[in-house]
Amino acid sequence: MSGVAAGSLSDGTREFLLCLADDEHLMGQRHTEWIGVAPFLEEDLALASIGQDELGHAAMLYELLSGPGRDIDDIALGRSAGEYRSCWLVEQKCPDWSDALVRHWMYDTAESLRWQMFEKSSIDELRGIAARALGEESFHVMHAEAMVAALSLSSDAHSRLAHSIAELLSLGVAMFEAPAGELDAIDDGVVSTSMVTLLPEWQQRVDARFGEQDWAAVDTVHQNGRTTRSDSFAPMYDVMREVLLIDPEAKW
Amino acid sequence: MTVAATLDVAEIESAIATVDDPEFPGVSIVDLGLLESVDIVGKKVVVGLVPTFSGCPALDVIRQDVVAAVMAMPGITDVDVRFLAAPRWSPERISEAARGKLASEFTVAVQISSRPVVCPRCKGATTEVAAFGPTRCRSVSRCVECGEIVEVVR
Repeated sequence: MSGVAAGSLSDGTREFLLCLADDEHLMGQRHTEWIGVAPFLEEDLALASIGQDELGHAAMLYELLSGPGRDIDDIALGRSAGEYRSCWLVEQKCPDWSDALVRHWMYDTAESLRWQMFEKSSIDELRGIAARALGEESFHVMHAEAMVAALSLSSDAHSRLAHSIAELLSLGVAMFEAPAGELDAIDDGVVSTSMVTLLPEWQQRVDARFGEQDWAAVDTVHQNGRTTRSDSFAPMYDVMREVLLIDPEAKW
Repeated sequence: MTVAATLDVAEIESAIATVDDPEFPGVSIVDLGLLESVDIVGKKVVVGLVPTFSGCPALDVIRQDVVAAVMAMPGITDVDVRFLAAPRWSPERISEAARGKLASEFTVAVQISSRPVVCPRCKGATTEVAAFGPTRCRSVSRCVECGEIVEVVR
């Protein structure tokens, strides 16, 4: 397949890729909040490693969007809050471990489906990034599945997970809302079809793992193509930029 | 000055081979399979490396060490180290010599496809105790014979 060069991406496509990069970035940041305070040591290490991978995926995508005068640090941390394009699920704080685990399961299940789409992209670099990311994702999905499966055997944990699912389901569905620039990305051959086409497969996996959900009753979350931020974003934005505010020359 | 004509890719590769992995002193990044390409573009040397995992925090140190090693060669004035998204790194890229050194000096085993991981100390069988270990590229197993905790590069 003859590829399109990443340098010639349209503005819409760049916006679209920024949405996915920001998802990875914020998810990575949120996972790392469990370092030192996860319920047990192995989980501490797992979430640290998984968060590290997500930050790595974000870095690969930011690299693709970087150029003269705009390096990946500028893109990752130099933007105003309004310029981020993350979905709201990854912005949530989730201080309850059950919520954090369910969010991890929801996100990585969606992310795998998403990267599989990018494996067929017309952009050479994106196919390479997708293959690398998918190799790492298999560990994430395996981990989330094993943890949820083990906990589902206890009735207390089972009811906590059910509560978390009910809490987060609408934000999970909102992951598939068309990101800004999606039509351009489809025109450019970056992806073949809309993100929302992945939703039924994701819903089936949720049903299979957590029991049948009443999808018709799930609230619609309006992220406006991800151009507005959830309430959870602002405090996190300040934490992410803490070092940068002390030392503007600091590198990621 | 015709710098490019005097540069030799094999010599540059030898210089890069002097760079050790920051976590495994004495084990070269070339033996770990990180080096993918060396190209001479005009007067610039372009080194392509494949990271073990995309978020590996050692990449910056490795980049600096490679730049220093190549710049130390006579006639070289510009080095660009690029971390490549493709191909993917896998443990199969680690040389036999490096596998031996990891086992004997660091008690670290290497997971080659689905082959069973043996204990670097006693060659006994091992079972995985944690899928995520001290770094992203290592899981943790325990030897069922001698009880040794074994880090496994995967």
